[in-house]
Amino acid sequence: MTRRGSRHFSKAFFAALAFAVAGAVFLPFYWAISLSLRQQSQTFTVTGLGVPFVQYRPTLANWRAELATGEMQRALANSLIIAVSTAAIVIVVGAPAAYAVARFRFRRPSNEDLTLWFLSQRVLPPVATAAPLFLLIHWLGLLDTRTGLVLLNATFNLPLAVVILRQAFLDLPVELEEAAMVDGAGHGTILLRICLPLAAPSLAAAVLIVIAFTWNEFLSGLMIGSLNAKVIPVHIAGAGDTRGVQFWFVAVRSLIAITPPVILALLAQRYIVRGLTFGAVKG
Amino acid sequence: MLRFWWPTGVGCLTVVAVLLAGCGGEKDRGAAAARGEYQFLAWHDDGGVTLTTFEDKEAIRLTGDQLGTMFGKGKVPFAGKRIAILVLNSGPKGGISGPLYRLRPAWEELTGARLDIVEVPIAELLNKSITDLRLGGGQFDGFMQASWFMGEYATPGFIAPIDDYIKDKRFPRWDPAWMPPALRALYTWEGKWYGTLNDSDGQVLYWRHDILSDPEWHRRFKAETGTDMPFPVRTWQDVLDIAKFFNGKNWDANDAEPDTGIVMHFRVNEQGMFHFMSLSAPFVVIGGDKVTRGTNNYWFDPDTMEPLINQPGHVRALGMLYELSKCGPPAQSAWDLGTAWDWFLRGKSIFVFSWGDVGALVQDETRSKIKGKLGAAILPGSFDVYDMNKREWVKLETPNVVGNTVGGSWHGVISAKSKNPELVYSLYALMATEPVSLWNANNGWTGVDPGASIHFLPPDGTADLKGYLAAGWNESDLKLYLKAYHDNFFAKTMMPYLRINGAEEYWRALDQNLSATMVGTLKPQEALDRTAAEWAEITRRRGREAQLKQYQSAIGYKK
Amino acid sequence: MRRRGTIQLLFILPAVAWVLCFTLFPLVYSVRLSFYNARVGEPEQFVGLANYATFLHDRRAWESLGVTLVFVACGVTVQLVLGMALALLFHRPLPGRGVLRTLLTAPLFATPIAVGFLFRTIFYEEGGLANGLLGTRIPWLSDPRWALASVLLVDIWQWTPFCFLIFLAALQGIPEDYYEAARLETRSGWTLFRCITLPILMPTVILVLLLRLTEAFKVLDIPYTLTGGGPGTSTQVLSLYAYFVGLRNLNFGYASCVSVVMLILVTGMILVLFRRMRQVYQ
Repeated sequence: MTRRGSRHFSKAFFAALAFAVAGAVFLPFYWAISLSLRQQSQTFTVTGLGVPFVQYRPTLANWRAELATGEMQRALANSLIIAVSTAAIVIVVGAPAAYAVARFRFRRPSNEDLTLWFLSQRVLPPVATAAPLFLLIHWLGLLDTRTGLVLLNATFNLPLAVVILRQAFLDLPVELEEAAMVDGAGHGTILLRICLPLAAPSLAAAVLIVIAFTWNEFLSGLMIGSLNAKVIPVHIAGAGDTRGVQFWFVAVRSLIAITPPVILALLAQRYIVRGLTFGAVKG
Repeated sequence: MLRFWWPTGVGCLTVVAVLLAGCGGEKDRGAAAARGEYQFLAWHDDGGVTLTTFEDKEAIRLTGDQLGTMFGKGKVPFAGKRIAILVLNSGPKGGISGPLYRLRPAWEELTGARLDIVEVPIAELLNKSITDLRLGGGQFDGFMQASWFMGEYATPGFIAPIDDYIKDKRFPRWDPAWMPPALRALYTWEGKWYGTLNDSDGQVLYWRHDILSDPEWHRRFKAETGTDMPFPVRTWQDVLDIAKFFNGKNWDANDAEPDTGIVMHFRVNEQGMFHFMSLSAPFVVIGGDKVTRGTNNYWFDPDTMEPLINQPGHVRALGMLYELSKCGPPAQSAWDLGTAWDWFLRGKSIFVFSWGDVGALVQDETRSKIKGKLGAAILPGSFDVYDMNKREWVKLETPNVVGNTVGGSWHGVISAKSKNPELVYSLYALMATEPVSLWNANNGWTGVDPGASIHFLPPDGTADLKGYLAAGWNESDLKLYLKAYHDNFFAKTMMPYLRINGAEEYWRALDQNLSATMVGTLKPQEALDRTAAEWAEITRRRGREAQLKQYQSAIGYKK
Repeated sequence: MRRRGTIQLLFILPAVAWVLCFTLFPLVYSVRLSFYNARVGEPEQFVGLANYATFLHDRRAWESLGVTLVFVACGVTVQLVLGMALALLFHRPLPGRGVLRTLLTAPLFATPIAVGFLFRTIFYEEGGLANGLLGTRIPWLSDPRWALASVLLVDIWQWTPFCFLIFLAALQGIPEDYYEAARLETRSGWTLFRCITLPILMPTVILVLLLRLTEAFKVLDIPYTLTGGGPGTSTQVLSLYAYFVGLRNLNFGYASCVSVVMLILVTGMILVLFRRMRQVYQ
């Protein structure tokens, strides 16, 4: 095979591999689609790939039943507001902190100690924090409010963002920032105009991760939210009732639940693009 | 250009979200009612009323007596008040929570108040309510609880007794005498009433009547085993023999796969332990006039609080349960209620022993393929019982049959911290009145299963067949089903419910060891010995004296 | 950039203050509670180290710890390796790269509760997706060892994208000229990876390792909804055990004790790894 040919081959091979992997990852979602379109009695009878139209006649009954109640829409709206607000707060408060730990030298406590402390904030298991956080939110008068949940989720995810962004800033070459300082730029400007754009891929990753973690947060959503601040994980967990889990509703709910974050991810991945960095450093 | 995609997208989504979150207004039915405008109530001249349910618009008629004197045309005794009830998350048309939604508008017009229905996943009910009560959140006025929560609510005084309300003619009327003693026990604690009539849970045996009464199968049974098919079944051994015979054969025409003899729901930390309780009762519980260690007792020694869960009767029963489980699909060790029932509803199992929901689900043809083919009866018994007084096995002439009330028997209780206990009671009492309770029992989807005399057909009770038939019940299924439950709840000997603090904790220890036994990790004796040790530890931690006193009061033990 | 003073504080104080505010109280509360016998409806009794003594003799606690360790070790290793491999794969120019990458991150947003329920139907042994496709009769959920494997599989499916995302972002930061220079000497992809990519990415790898470790130790949703901790207690991870003890048995004192033990264990682990990271960085 010519060199050109082998390059084409390897390109095709990797492309095929990528598609296969993506397909495997997507399989459970496909299964959820298949489940959601079945009659309830067919939940366990349709085996194999569960292809609609081929193995069973699809129906929209489950979708209609689920969308008829306002529950899902309210849960979706709540989760969305909480997730986006949390991400915004976390970046606004966390990016400067990450920059500080990456670029400034701290004596007591040292930079490493600070990073370690941030990391350790995520260690306590959910059950330990359930009661005290309930107390805290109750004391603030924020029970069953979205604000309360935003506060909690921002707390949980701030360390995450700081640690991820710190690493991203550490990987940036210092020369650009030094040059800017010589030109008289303040730290704030440097952070905003130089570091954040250069670290855009990691920033996007951090935001997506914060949104994902907030989106999936169950126990605090359960403890704090009741009527007005019900979030999606709690709504999904409610698909289990006195008669067992209603898998058809789980399928519908999880499919609806995953749509907004995936749209956000689709928009975000444009930022994880090659070549956005380092053109400026050469030469 | 690129820079603005993301923030714009996010901004749009958030705006949509805020709009969605904001929508949903509320009608003030109370104000309208005070003016005489009723949408869900139709008053009659004799003081009675017909209330219409939400969405389905079914009509339920109550007489003036049943309604109570505080309600009437133009009266809104609780105008301007608002209560929140915590209930499990089945939605507006699901079990236990559904009836609340269905009756809400009518109740709001009756009382002039507003009802918030707060739904929580079933597994988190206890922990969310207890956290709130314990830490002073004060979010809820009432809870729809399962019977095993009672100790955790009643002992610290978190719920309010309702004895005075029951006698009070102002409130909707219901009669505790409708309920069999075993069920009455679940709704009371240390002599006081806390719950109003709602759901009645207990396990009965269901089977495929069409298969088991088919002479062809009787012939084949005899040919293969040499004995007659022991049908109708009288003991668990009979069930085992039949299940063994049918297991692995494709006796059901609904699909081409082999079917099983029995199916159970053994998923750990769910409802598997109830299977053990109900099956083991005939091996353990001896009836009688008094309550002693060996009569009308099951759980602990009433003098010492020594766990009795590893006595020979219990162990033999676990062995029987294990043998029985081998006649079912191996996957059932991980199956929850719904999945196991689905197996039966699709026609793949001869037997299942479980709650009243099964009978109701059989009637639902979107889930069931076996409507009209159902058989049901009180759980079978045992010729051999272990006498825990004499500490020896006893052989009986007729099988020892024991009724059970295992399960939740979901009912409403009032929070002691509520500012409107009477208002909450009015809601519960409305649901407990004869016409509404009957409506609940007729309609299987409500999750409220029959258990009181007003639910059973004559001569067992006073219900009307037409109500059930109108809700879609098959007549033959219904009659066997109701008789089974009547026999179960009114049986001479009943298995005592564990009515002490920490019931769930004791049961969880049992359940985890049970699950290990079902997958072969532990042998029955070892599993129950471990459970006994864990129970002793739980008792010690919770305070042996307090637990003992509670247990004695719970089973009615007098030295 | 070695300026001290107010700008330093201004940048870092909001984050530190916020986190401190909301996490100091739970920490103190939990530690304090672990020294008490705290039950609903009864006054608390100070019991000193009794809870910890119970923990030492608690068979279930040690079983749970064992399950958790196996789970974390296997799961995190696979996720890191797979995440890196996928990041390398998707770093190349591919048709439909954007959509494929988004697809790969999708499992992260799938609520673990829903995933647990969903996989119950996928692992349905009498003919769900898994057994149906493979044509096998593997007892995914009803056999103790397969159940642990199932939980691991689901966890890997859900969390590899986390590693993938961070690794991919980090890969984007490596300047192309490094590779151009190296390609003059060798064409081997593996050598390029070993000598350029991996060393540069090592701090990120350790970061992801630490993050995944702390999360994996706490995992609750997936074992809870997929297996309930069973069959028996074969998939009852420590966090699930603490949940049952605290929020179901309402034994808050002991649950806090278990949590504090977890805290000590995992923080110790992070400390050790973090020191290693400093060495590697040097």
